[in-house]
Amino acid sequence: MSKEETFKELADAVISCKKEAVDAAVEKARSEGIEPAEIIEKGLAAGMNEVGILFERGKLFLPHVMLAAGAMESGVSILEADMPTDAASKKLGVIVNGTVEGDVHDIGKSIVSTMLQSAGFEVHDIGRDVPLQDFIDKIKETNADMVGLSALMTTTLPGQKEVIEMLKEQGLRDKVKVMVGGAPATENWANKIGADCYAENASEAVTKAKELLV
Amino acid sequence: MTTEYTTRMGDGQRILMTREQILADLKEGMADAADLGEIPDLSEDELDKLVDIIAMPARMVGVEPGKEVPVTHDIGTIRIDGDQGNSGVGIPSSRLVGVMMHERAFGADTMELGHIDYSYKPVKPVISNEQQTMEVCQQNTIIPLLYGAMPNLGLYYTPDGPFQNPGDLMKAFKIDEARASIEGAAKHATRDITWIMKKMMSSGTDGINFDTVGAAGDGDMYASLHAIEALRKEFPHIYIEAGMAGELTLGLHGDLQYDGKVLAGMWPHQQAPVVAKAGANIFGPVVNTNTSRSAAWNLGRAVTFVKAAVKASSIPCHVNMGMGVGGIPMFETPTIDAVSRASKAMVEVAGVDGI
Amino acid sequence: MGMPITHIMTSGMSGIRAAGDLVARMEFSKSMRIGEAKEYVAKKLDVSTLDLSDEYVMREVREDHGIGVITSVAGAPKGIAAKMNIEKLLDIKINSCEMFRNQIA
Repeated sequence: MSKEETFKELADAVISCKKEAVDAAVEKARSEGIEPAEIIEKGLAAGMNEVGILFERGKLFLPHVMLAAGAMESGVSILEADMPTDAASKKLGVIVNGTVEGDVHDIGKSIVSTMLQSAGFEVHDIGRDVPLQDFIDKIKETNADMVGLSALMTTTLPGQKEVIEMLKEQGLRDKVKVMVGGAPATENWANKIGADCYAENASEAVTKAKELLV
Repeated sequence: MTTEYTTRMGDGQRILMTREQILADLKEGMADAADLGEIPDLSEDELDKLVDIIAMPARMVGVEPGKEVPVTHDIGTIRIDGDQGNSGVGIPSSRLVGVMMHERAFGADTMELGHIDYSYKPVKPVISNEQQTMEVCQQNTIIPLLYGAMPNLGLYYTPDGPFQNPGDLMKAFKIDEARASIEGAAKHATRDITWIMKKMMSSGTDGINFDTVGAAGDGDMYASLHAIEALRKEFPHIYIEAGMAGELTLGLHGDLQYDGKVLAGMWPHQQAPVVAKAGANIFGPVVNTNTSRSAAWNLGRAVTFVKAAVKASSIPCHVNMGMGVGGIPMFETPTIDAVSRASKAMVEVAGVDGI
Repeated sequence: MGMPITHIMTSGMSGIRAAGDLVARMEFSKSMRIGEAKEYVAKKLDVSTLDLSDEYVMREVREDHGIGVITSVAGAPKGIAAKMNIEKLLDIKINSCEMFRNQIA
């Protein structure tokens, strides 16, 4: 079997959302002498990317995304023994995600958190209607690389701007990337308030987080 | 020099595009819808018509005489006395005044009564007030007047309701628990909506509007369909309108079915028959606007989705065309040029039965 | 308010200025598609489907049938009274009229 075929088998196993299939594919790839980093990057992670696309296309659903992410984690854990310490479990980045104060909308933000988590980021979802200072506190506590700020109403949108101002005041702005989203948020709004990016939906959030952090 | 036409971005910004650029964006938006929904492209004639509509020199355009359709209204009178959060203009007025203004000042074809929170669950503690207001409004109006709100399954999850937040459970890999939570919430929502509408029917409402069905995913749609079914069974003549929250039914549960069909992953042309089967009279397809794309791209995409839904539906389709949906820019002071063009396109190209 | 008013001006049937409420009632009460609903109402009113959105034609038709007009004409049927006439005209039942009938001796 060529390497490409093995990578496809690994990706397909992730897309199947079955832990046993992923474990078996990883063992097989190991026995073929493929480097663990390649197994993860070109096989498992490629499969997770496809899972994200299938979610966006309405072919796979949130439980499948989580099952696939769980299966991938299992596969990665098999490879840990072959890799330098911590290399296998290293996350793509640390992200604090939440809906700003005064806004009780949860579902869209929650889907973004799930997709970021399943893509390999360490995500700290601090919920909805989150006091703005809590974003700052969590960023400090987790040494986050990025903060995701969701707002579903025009009345709560200014909370995103306020968090950016607070980051500046505390000298954190250069260390932390800011992503904004939610129905009334736009690319122009992101530019206006000095955010690093705007994401239209969950899969775009993953793409943009990777662009900025990986 | 090539002529450029004033049009809009999905966020409402004014831009200039040539006919060729408009056509290219329309085709790209159409292709996206056709690919996602596995539905037919628009014809060349339809695309040409859309280019003509977008490039019309008038600030405001209108449908050809004889092609007018009824315009139904959601959010009730909140747009008059409400605040910025629900696009209200903050004019102090009673709901009766709001309803009568829609009928007599604006020429609305139908109207809706709703309460300021606009979700069904919080109606329960104030049901008598809602009934009383409905009675007074029905005494004074002629146009069909429905009661409307959002199913909003989110209110049944912690901290607002008795069921654990499925999003949190899912992130903790507790998938079975998350699904059980969604199922429990759906049962409660169905029960609440049915109870509320029994009361409102006894106060003379013409019917019910389900606004933003599926906003909380497939469980939200499941609850709404079962409420529609129960209401149709109990009130054979009730008017039922079901408007969706987005073009894709999000699969938060993934396995919920209605009439043997999995609800998750449904596109508008698949949603319409299920909504009709449950017993609704009018289906409201929704296609969300991408703010980073042009109005042409969004309109091409929205018209393609809605046209397929109109064709697949056995009941009238009233396309949702509020802020940020149906090819209308996502901007709370919607520009008249963009709204009127999207409105005309939906009637004349998608063939909707109403808006 | 710009959004609904623009839709009404662009595509709407003008409510009780013309026959928008009547066509909407047929869509709601019988799940009729737009073409069928317009034909049904036009036949009942003995006008063309084009007339249904024509304020000039419909003003007189509405006055003649006592189904309510947009200006406040003293003594003319309004509210429930106008809807009761719509019930007869369109051969449908309207819930608020049923409630009203049930409440009177």
